[in-house]
Amino acid sequence: MRHPTEGRKYSRRAFLKAGGGALAGASVLGLAGCGSNSASKSGSSGGSKSGTLSFLVWAEPAEEKGFRDIIKAYEKKNPKAKIDLQVKPFDNYQTLTTRLAAGNAPDLARIQYQEMGRFSSQGALVDLSSYLPKNYGDAFTPDLWKAVNYQGKPYGVPQHTDTMAIFYNVNMLKKVGVTSFPDSPEKAWTWSQFMNLARKLKKARVAPYPFAVGWQTSAYRWMWFLFQHGGQLLTNNLKGPMIDNPIGVQTIEFTQNFFKENLVPPSTSIKSNEKIESLFSNGTIAMMLNGDWLMPFVQDHLKDPWAVTYMIRDKQTASDLGGNAVAVTKDTKNPELAADFLKFLASPEQIKQFCVTAQFIPSRKKLVQEGLDYKLRPKDMDVFVKQSSTVPPKMAAEQTIPKFGDINQVLEDQLEAAFKTGQSAKATAKNISSGIKQALGS
Amino acid sequence: MNVEQVRRAPATRRAAGGGGFRSWWGRNQRKIVPYLFITPNLVVFTLFMFIPIIGAFYVSLTKWSLIGSPTFIGIENYVQMFTDPNFWKAFYNTFIYTVGTVPTSIALGLLVAMGLNRRLPGRTLLRSIYFVPVIISLVAAALIAAWMFNDNYGVINSLLNAVGLKSVHWLSSATWAMPSLIITTLWIRLGFNMVIYLAALQGISPEVYDAANIDGAKGWKLFRYVTWPLLAPTTFLVLIINIIYSTYVFDLIYVMTGGGPGFSTTVLVQYVYQEAFQQGDMGYASAIGVFLYVLLMVFTLFQWRVTRQGEQAS
Repeated sequence: MRHPTEGRKYSRRAFLKAGGGALAGASVLGLAGCGSNSASKSGSSGGSKSGTLSFLVWAEPAEEKGFRDIIKAYEKKNPKAKIDLQVKPFDNYQTLTTRLAAGNAPDLARIQYQEMGRFSSQGALVDLSSYLPKNYGDAFTPDLWKAVNYQGKPYGVPQHTDTMAIFYNVNMLKKVGVTSFPDSPEKAWTWSQFMNLARKLKKARVAPYPFAVGWQTSAYRWMWFLFQHGGQLLTNNLKGPMIDNPIGVQTIEFTQNFFKENLVPPSTSIKSNEKIESLFSNGTIAMMLNGDWLMPFVQDHLKDPWAVTYMIRDKQTASDLGGNAVAVTKDTKNPELAADFLKFLASPEQIKQFCVTAQFIPSRKKLVQEGLDYKLRPKDMDVFVKQSSTVPPKMAAEQTIPKFGDINQVLEDQLEAAFKTGQSAKATAKNISSGIKQALGS
Repeated sequence: MNVEQVRRAPATRRAAGGGGFRSWWGRNQRKIVPYLFITPNLVVFTLFMFIPIIGAFYVSLTKWSLIGSPTFIGIENYVQMFTDPNFWKAFYNTFIYTVGTVPTSIALGLLVAMGLNRRLPGRTLLRSIYFVPVIISLVAAALIAAWMFNDNYGVINSLLNAVGLKSVHWLSSATWAMPSLIITTLWIRLGFNMVIYLAALQGISPEVYDAANIDGAKGWKLFRYVTWPLLAPTTFLVLIINIIYSTYVFDLIYVMTGGGPGFSTTVLVQYVYQEAFQQGDMGYASAIGVFLYVLLMVFTLFQWRVTRQGEQAS
């Protein structure tokens, strides 16, 4: 007699086999499909105004619009040129480095000032000195121009900067009696004033947590606290660490207390990818220390009244060196066209347009002095513009050395241990110090 | 065709073929065709597995950041690896994750398979439901799990609060992050193990059960002395597959915690990724990769030997 399940047993086996085969086939196709985008094709006669370029960026929706407007304007002026904008998620340096290794990196790439050193010092970018007029850099904010230079030569063009200040929920702060706010960076809340406010907010339970810091997974944003407290990360000659001292330890303790006293959500440490602006917009936190480019997001998602005030201060004022440059990679087949597009992108008119669209601060001195006509919340944007003048030049210099990427990783690992796993401030300072020594090879 | 016709056919073919290719093909077809069948797979395997593995061995002896060319440094990366506390932490985390996911998911898979092997109404639907997590995108599942386990607005904490329990800091505390990952993995692996066990259970002929019943074996005794031993080869297969999956886990952890908080959920492959693409140290990352490869190669060889011994014994 036939086994009752024989027929069905075979079909189950067949199903498994077919499923396995399909999975294997799919994985092969998946692997085969992992090719990269085509590199640019150069123009017909090698002339500088024709050809195709690829431009790799990350961008919030408003930023993407800004980039596309620049491209449209350039293509209108140069009908034979075409720029292909490739928008990837933030932190797309993995994409950039792997494509560089494969030899088909995009012609142009958006790069943070803190990352410029890593790429320029390893020959990944094109030296723009022969394409830019003499004294081109004089028109830009000095720290930003310095950041795109390596060994005295420019490897990118600063497009914009941005910085961080305090977003706050008006009603929540009103509930604890706070209705007046500082009117300049020098009059901002001090460390102790801010902590007291946070503790008051916590006690009154106006929100699950008083605030959060928008690290954006970048440990270097912790450095403003260090500079606010009168410290610095590296020695004056940028060759060794200067954090294993009372100032460094106290700063670590100060930021550790955010977590120890439960003033920030535990999920908002440096390594986490919790979106702080979401927590602010859905009422989980009453304040956030975050950047100007998030104003469009908050505007769209938070219906309660909100505003911006100045970054906290201690012995000094200090805030984030934000913003990005645009550079030409070594794999470009049309450096003249790429450099020409860069000059257009960095022209006063285009910088103005981009910064107004995407809520950024211009990189050109004259534009900062004149002030831009921001459409979205100009009063709040003005806070950021004023705040941007508090970026310490020493901090900017430290963050733009070639080895800064390695130092940033040390900071990230150690601060994460201090915030999340209870490592003592003294041990953290010591570990950061030895990590920096190792990174700098000193 | 009768027997006579069949016996005559090959001879007829040989005679009619004449010389040349046709007859050579007729003679050697049986030997060559299998190779033709496996050639496409072999080509893909060589391009995407063998060559990169050899490449990784080479890169592990260099220092290279992907930009520029590699510098040869000998076994320095391996020395660094064995003295690197983060490496051992990653190794330990991988071990914990494996111990947490493998026996549990196998036991659960077997339990569910046994339950769904009976004539339950709607068992086909139930089987499909259990299997769906296996075929959906792991990244999509991990993203949704990350939202569900979110401290501040996740569904799981809301449910806990609804029954009067306090919220748990699932993904943001070093204690609970690993359990969240293990729970999510169990949900995904259960279906896979269930399907394999179901197939094996269906392969046990009912006569065996009848005989055991006559001998008085019921319930737990039946399982312990009849079912479990008969499932031994399947259990072995399932064990190996699950251990390999757990040792190589990456996407789930990358999406849900990124290895954090701190280093509490950094497993070996996550550490490789971090060192390769965030630290820009391809040489060191390759050394860890080679270590993983050797580890699992040894394990697989051990499994192969034991299975062959088992087969020879039976």
